Amino acid sequence: MKIDWRLLAIVITLTLIGIVRSPAAAADKPAAASDPNTLASPKSFASIADPQKRSIAYFTELSKVLTHQRCVNCHPSGESPRQGDSRRLHQPLVVRGVDGYGRENMRCGTCHTNANFEQGRIPGNPHWHLAPAEMAWEGKTPAEICRQIKDPKRNGNRSLNDLIDHIGKDSLVGWAWNPGYGRKPAPGTQQQAGELVEAWAKSGAACPQ
Amino acid sequence: MKATRREFVQWAVASGITLGVSRIGAGQAAATPPGFTARETLPGRGKWTPELGRIDGVAKATGAKLYASDFRAADLPGWPSETSHALLVRCADATHIYEGFDLARLSKIARPAVVVTADDVKHAKIRVPAFYEGDLFCPAGKTPTYLGQPVALLIFEKFDAFDQARLALRDGQFLRFGKETGPVEGSNYGAFRFTRVAGPTPDDPDVYSPMQAGWISPGFLESSGRPIWKPLPVAKGGDYVKGATFGEEIRKGLASKDAGLLVLDREFETQSVDPMFLEPECGLAWYDTSSQKLETVLGVQSPFETTESLAFLLGEASPGFKPKVIDAQFAYVGGGFGGRDHTPFPLYVTLAGMFYPGHAVRLAHDRFQQFQGGIKRHAFKMRSKIGIDRTTGKITAFAADHVLDGGGMMNYSPSVATVGATGALGIYDVPKVDVTTVAMHTRGVTAGSMRGYGTLQTMTALETLIDEVACALPMDPIEFRRRNALPPGGRIMTGHAFSVSTRTKEILSKLEKHPIWSRRAAEKRQAKPGFLVGTGVAIATKDYGSGADCSLGRVEISPEGRISIHSDAVEMGNGIGTALVNRVALHLGGRADEVTVAQVDAFDALELVKTGDPFTMAQAAQDEGEKNPRWVPEISSPTSASIGAHVGTQAAAEAARILYRFGLWPAAIALWGIAPNDPRTKQSDEAYWQDDILIMTGLDPLPLKKIAAKAHAMKVVTGVMAHAFSRWAWAQATFAIHGESWTADIDALAVRYGSDGFTRLSRSSVAFPPTDYNRIGVAFSSRCGTLVRVEIERATGKLRIAKAYSALECGQALVPEVVVGQSQGGFAMGVGYALLETLPPFEEGPGNGQWNLGQYRIARGSDLPLHDLEIEVLPPLPKEPPKGMAEVVMIPVVPALLNAIFDATGHRFRSLPVTQTMIKDALA
Amino acid sequence: MTTLALTINGRAYGPIEVRDDLTMNDFLREYLGMTGTKYGCGAAQCLSCAVIVDRPDGTSHTNPTCIVPASSFNGKTIRTIEGHAKNGELTILQKTFIEHFAFQCGYCTPGFLNEGQVLLERLEKSPVAHADLDITIGEALDGHLCRCTGYVKYHEAVRAAVLTEPTRFLKDSAQ
Repeated sequence: MKIDWRLLAIVITLTLIGIVRSPAAAADKPAAASDPNTLASPKSFASIADPQKRSIAYFTELSKVLTHQRCVNCHPSGESPRQGDSRRLHQPLVVRGVDGYGRENMRCGTCHTNANFEQGRIPGNPHWHLAPAEMAWEGKTPAEICRQIKDPKRNGNRSLNDLIDHIGKDSLVGWAWNPGYGRKPAPGTQQQAGELVEAWAKSGAACPQ
Repeated sequence: MKATRREFVQWAVASGITLGVSRIGAGQAAATPPGFTARETLPGRGKWTPELGRIDGVAKATGAKLYASDFRAADLPGWPSETSHALLVRCADATHIYEGFDLARLSKIARPAVVVTADDVKHAKIRVPAFYEGDLFCPAGKTPTYLGQPVALLIFEKFDAFDQARLALRDGQFLRFGKETGPVEGSNYGAFRFTRVAGPTPDDPDVYSPMQAGWISPGFLESSGRPIWKPLPVAKGGDYVKGATFGEEIRKGLASKDAGLLVLDREFETQSVDPMFLEPECGLAWYDTSSQKLETVLGVQSPFETTESLAFLLGEASPGFKPKVIDAQFAYVGGGFGGRDHTPFPLYVTLAGMFYPGHAVRLAHDRFQQFQGGIKRHAFKMRSKIGIDRTTGKITAFAADHVLDGGGMMNYSPSVATVGATGALGIYDVPKVDVTTVAMHTRGVTAGSMRGYGTLQTMTALETLIDEVACALPMDPIEFRRRNALPPGGRIMTGHAFSVSTRTKEILSKLEKHPIWSRRAAEKRQAKPGFLVGTGVAIATKDYGSGADCSLGRVEISPEGRISIHSDAVEMGNGIGTALVNRVALHLGGRADEVTVAQVDAFDALELVKTGDPFTMAQAAQDEGEKNPRWVPEISSPTSASIGAHVGTQAAAEAARILYRFGLWPAAIALWGIAPNDPRTKQSDEAYWQDDILIMTGLDPLPLKKIAAKAHAMKVVTGVMAHAFSRWAWAQATFAIHGESWTADIDALAVRYGSDGFTRLSRSSVAFPPTDYNRIGVAFSSRCGTLVRVEIERATGKLRIAKAYSALECGQALVPEVVVGQSQGGFAMGVGYALLETLPPFEEGPGNGQWNLGQYRIARGSDLPLHDLEIEVLPPLPKEPPKGMAEVVMIPVVPALLNAIFDATGHRFRSLPVTQTMIKDALA
Repeated sequence: MTTLALTINGRAYGPIEVRDDLTMNDFLREYLGMTGTKYGCGAAQCLSCAVIVDRPDGTSHTNPTCIVPASSFNGKTIRTIEGHAKNGELTILQKTFIEHFAFQCGYCTPGFLNEGQVLLERLEKSPVAHADLDITIGEALDGHLCRCTGYVKYHEAVRAAVLTEPTRFLKDSAQ
């Protein structure tokens, strides 16, 4: 078993490299995956025959979003969020607090109002808060995030279907594609990200190794 | 080393502009809002004020309008009711040709009422003061000289238009750039060499010193602008060759393979940082076309220089741009740290007012712009070589080369270079020294004055090097310092001795006996698992004063015994107002309830004149000038270089002494009924104040109120105005007051009798310090030593300062709480500089307009040992005057931290800041 | 444009139409001329612009004003540094700030004063143990930046204010 898995991983890796480097790549082909600012559509992975490999490919593409600063900054490994494209520690220093909305004397909503406020260069959303500690993605590989995101204990007790909605439709998640002045948006669109989650979930939700 | 200034009064007359004549006084009718001066006069007549605390305490704790940023036109009586707003557009590119901007971007929203560009300034015949030489605005068709250079001033009638425009224009797409040219080349701002060879014994004269031979500069390599340090034929004159030959000899000695000599050769780099005062620069200007008067409200450390610069700016301007009168008003300052001394910002405020006549215009940096356009601290690259006799443990020779990044405008670069170089030996006594320094022009944001002024950089390099020497010998680091400390009377690098107390050994003993030091081995052993503990020590000396320091002071007493003080010194948090009150109270018994600071126009009765630059003046020019009893080498100087206590209070203190001696004392004699021939009339020094009661043994105690009323009734002296000048020694003059001869450390004097106006008294003789004192570099200095213990988490590199202690000496502390407060603040700024703060050079740095406090981390409370920081101020020596201390308290903090990090980790960091990541990587 | 009506230091302001992109800081400083509330960074990173917001439930919190729309304050009740003293009588905290030389240039003082005041009021409702006082003050003030003082005297002044009436602010004041 051990050897098999390792071989499989190598095969997948080689396959992915092959796909990425395919000269036949068109706009909706996975070749676009090399562009960190866009997302490839699920159908561009149709050429991958092996369902598991294809599922992994969906997730690998999705991981461009999940590891993006717009997401990771508020899925931090510690108690404090990060900030900006440089992922610096949030200034002023704020902490998650018991409910993810900050400590009593410094609540998220104090500064982050219902929408981005451009004059103050500050992002906003009615639900602005930090992901719980068990949902921390900072410093993790796509493979680690994949296993975590499938684990109800570490994904906010969500089913795979819930994840399709959370990533594809949630308004706070959607902020990542409309982050306001001075912040780079997450790649692609929220809808594309949702489609990738859906394709991944429906193809067995396989994880890269 | 300042830029040459023109003669003040002569110029003002020649250009036909009157400076600062009108005041909106405290005597305004109650119905109108209080005038600017009334608001800035604290604590305020008849206002309740706590016994303890600063004179500005109540105003600052209640949100009173005080800072330049607090004022709008509607707050100023006589001004228009509305405030217009200006936007200074700066470029974030200094490698492409600037081609202009496109106002069409503003078509849908607010359009500016007025646009000011390089062309407009040229047409209006605006002149740039020499200190700010260069284009005020980058003209279209030229590559900007530096990142953040202004290209235009947009003036909007209404705030809403301004507010919407600044939002629309901030993305950097507003300006058009063309062909890439690379950065604009410029020659360096100054290069100097300080070489000293001591005589065979300390009693012998030096073989060679800058004091004897004058300061020397090398010739330049034309291609790069870099100086050639070798004594090559292109050097400017023979002086350089002589000094450089001694210098090269010293370097040869350090390169010899003498086994008895320990030689260390090390590089050290420091970063650019921002003063990060909390109040961004701002100001108001209003040009009233009917009276042709320009009024400004500004907050700077150098009000007199600003006034002069504004007058020069507009002095030859076209009709409509040349006011008849400039009334520059200066407010309390929300932090300075050097960054508001000689800043170009007031020039732009003034242009905003002049180009929108009849409107009150406000110009204010936001924080992004303050990072982009505000004065920075110089980044240094240093290489130091030190030689130590292994047997005696004495330093035999020191050589160093410094390169400073001066940024886009010269500003104070040459001066920072020389102060850094002459401070490079810290507290040490070294017989052979050779230090070269050069300040380079680059396209970075302009660097200038900031707390520590070059010596923070060079002494950090030195004190970490000394720590390494002590380890290498090996010798206890405090013992090594004691053995090599410059003794009182010993000569520094320039060949001169400090003329004030040098209490190095006392400070070293304090450090040695402190538990942080004595327990250092035990604490290291007892480190928690996973943590490293280390202790570091460092000591610094810092000059205070610049070599041409002035003080203007005016003290008056009312018939009711109320004291008022006027001063040209600036309150920027330094507590100068409170220091003035305390120093005057020593002579007059009572605490003043009206103190007005940052005033340059309250001293017209002195009728002062000057002729040239006090720093570069020839002796003959001074000899000629001083024949005029109204002449002084300089009229007013910035509040900088830690001079607040020593210089800033001097004129007021001397004025108070005269007020007592020729006003209150004769009144007291009269009240006591002492006959004129009674010997007790001569014993004014025997009486003393207990609060506001004058006590004289054997006589009735007299309340100040009663004495003051009598003084007014007798029409004796009730007000005194004085000027003092220091070039590493006070100018001293003699005056005839009331028929008596009075000699004091002042050079100009006016007095008021009863309720009359002030009358100028001509000095009968004067002794100005000789002009070659300009070669001294520094004669006044204070000492501070710091101990820190750090705890570093091995896995993460996270550093915590567990305990810290600073011991300092500053003569008589005028406001002891402020001295301690400044020391605590200096500690925090030292921690920021050592561990947190950094601004990368050029395009990634603040000149790109995208920097704010998110990326730029200054120390916050949780970075500091708030409950474990001990400050000890040594009591003054008998009769010791106040000494400057605001800079020295920051310096040893930085090397002490680095030495502690070495002690904990075994790694010597040679660049700043030392971040958590760097420590983590070093431990990996 | 949005209609804004609010209470500042006990006095009603508005209704007034304000632009949606007007910051609360500019509303106070440019529209009302209330410059006791400072502008420091425009990015909620120094907190010199923080005011006190009094919630309907009787609790209060500080709020930076430089990065939030003025319109978000509609219907709210706030306090600024100008409103602490009543009839010229300073609050305990204003007095300890002055007596302890808490500030130097004073530009960050409005934020520290408001934060300290909110802390005192919170402690009055839910006192902490004497042993936890320093850490409580440290956490409360840590967001505020000061460049002059090194923070020590601000902390001392808040501590002193608490200790003027320990029974009011501390659980175990007898100790």
